[in-house]
Amino acid sequence: MSMQLENVNNGLIPRVIVCLDVANGRVVKGVNFKGLTDMGDPVELVLRYQEQGADEIVFLDIKATLENRANALDTVRRVAQNLSIPFTVGGGLNSYADVEQFLNAGADKVALNSAAVKTPELINQIAEGFGSQCVVVAVDVNKDAVDDYAVYVSGGHVRTELDAFSWFAEVEQRGAGEILLTAMHRDGTGIGFDNELMAKVAKERNIQVIASGGAANEQHFVDTFMAGSDAALAAGMFHRGELSIQDVKQALRQQQILTR
Amino acid sequence: MSWQPRDKTLGVINTKAGNLFSLYACLKRIGFNTVQINTPDDIKNKSVDALVIPGQGRFGQVMKQLTATGLDKSIIQWVRQGKPLLGICVGLQVLFEQSEEDPGVRGLGIFAGKVERLNSPKQPMVGWSKLNSSVGSMDEKVVYFVNSFGVKQSAVTAATVTYGEQFVAAINQGNIWAFQFHPEKSGEVGEEIIKQCLCN
Repeated sequence: MSMQLENVNNGLIPRVIVCLDVANGRVVKGVNFKGLTDMGDPVELVLRYQEQGADEIVFLDIKATLENRANALDTVRRVAQNLSIPFTVGGGLNSYADVEQFLNAGADKVALNSAAVKTPELINQIAEGFGSQCVVVAVDVNKDAVDDYAVYVSGGHVRTELDAFSWFAEVEQRGAGEILLTAMHRDGTGIGFDNELMAKVAKERNIQVIASGGAANEQHFVDTFMAGSDAALAAGMFHRGELSIQDVKQALRQQQILTR
Repeated sequence: MSWQPRDKTLGVINTKAGNLFSLYACLKRIGFNTVQINTPDDIKNKSVDALVIPGQGRFGQVMKQLTATGLDKSIIQWVRQGKPLLGICVGLQVLFEQSEEDPGVRGLGIFAGKVERLNSPKQPMVGWSKLNSSVGSMDEKVVYFVNSFGVKQSAVTAATVTYGEQFVAAINQGNIWAFQFHPEKSGEVGEEIIKQCLCN
């Protein structure tokens, strides 16, 4: 067995994570950023992915705004009652009280993005109150004219002055349990995850790295796990039915990567 | 003769140390009746068949709550009578004598040994890992772990797992079953493990 493969199969199986966008109690997808298409009932869809062998479900954009809060909590509750695999919720959670509400509704972890940048102490507070295993910090990076890896917030709309690699170190030091790392420059390209970035962060940091952005086929999952990603997340390719979780798992097994 | 889940009432100890939504949802999906146990009297009054120590919170926090309510003595008495007990994660850890997570806090001491910080490649350990066990429902099964601490050796080991180093994934003695992993987050495999342990 190669050294690389030994590192992949080091005891924790690489996770294949499905991401869903939820609005008003329904799973939605954006169409060219203009409108939202209804893709179905969240409970039905997550159970289908669970049955296909997904290792974790993430709602990254639950839109937990104040006016939508009750609705978002109700969706999380309905999903958590039915789901028997780990479940992460993010999108608009800005305070300790917000996080507590969603954990009490049955989420196992919360994903913080803009809120963590705005109020980094929130990471410490949640880690101390609920444990590091509850805190996923989502970081959106983009290659732009100035920087190879600029950190963006507010759903990728606002560029920050943060140094990406210092930010990864800081979130770990503050008590995050995992980093969900989205390479915006790969999102929707279908050319695969930014494995150079994932490998560097996975090696430098002592917490797990979830690769996101760019997947279009099963080989992209094999590649990112071989590069060192601890987990990999995709949305559209699964929702559009281009590839099933089983296809991905089968490809991993063919490369002797452990699956469940 | 084996029991059906619907014939059984599980008393889930309220350790006031985190959200038990997933645990209750899982036990209900399997088909068990569940009641919450806040005091020693609840155990008698609610005709409980098995006790469950849930897997949320840290060692010191859980022991403090058990001691404050007197449930620590109830649990020890319960297992002395040979009655079924299920422990999950920190619910396994408090069955031992002490923990590096909160030095100076005494555990229930039902089993000899201590809880130590694990040498995981990445901390906390969060994810799916494969069990080694002589118990059919657990052997070679992949289950979900969330922990930084664990028991490295025990005379009552029923399953082990390796992440950086080998540690105890499950223990069993008589009607006591406890898991370092989270069966309630381990898909159908986890539900089957709970069912097998409590219904056979």
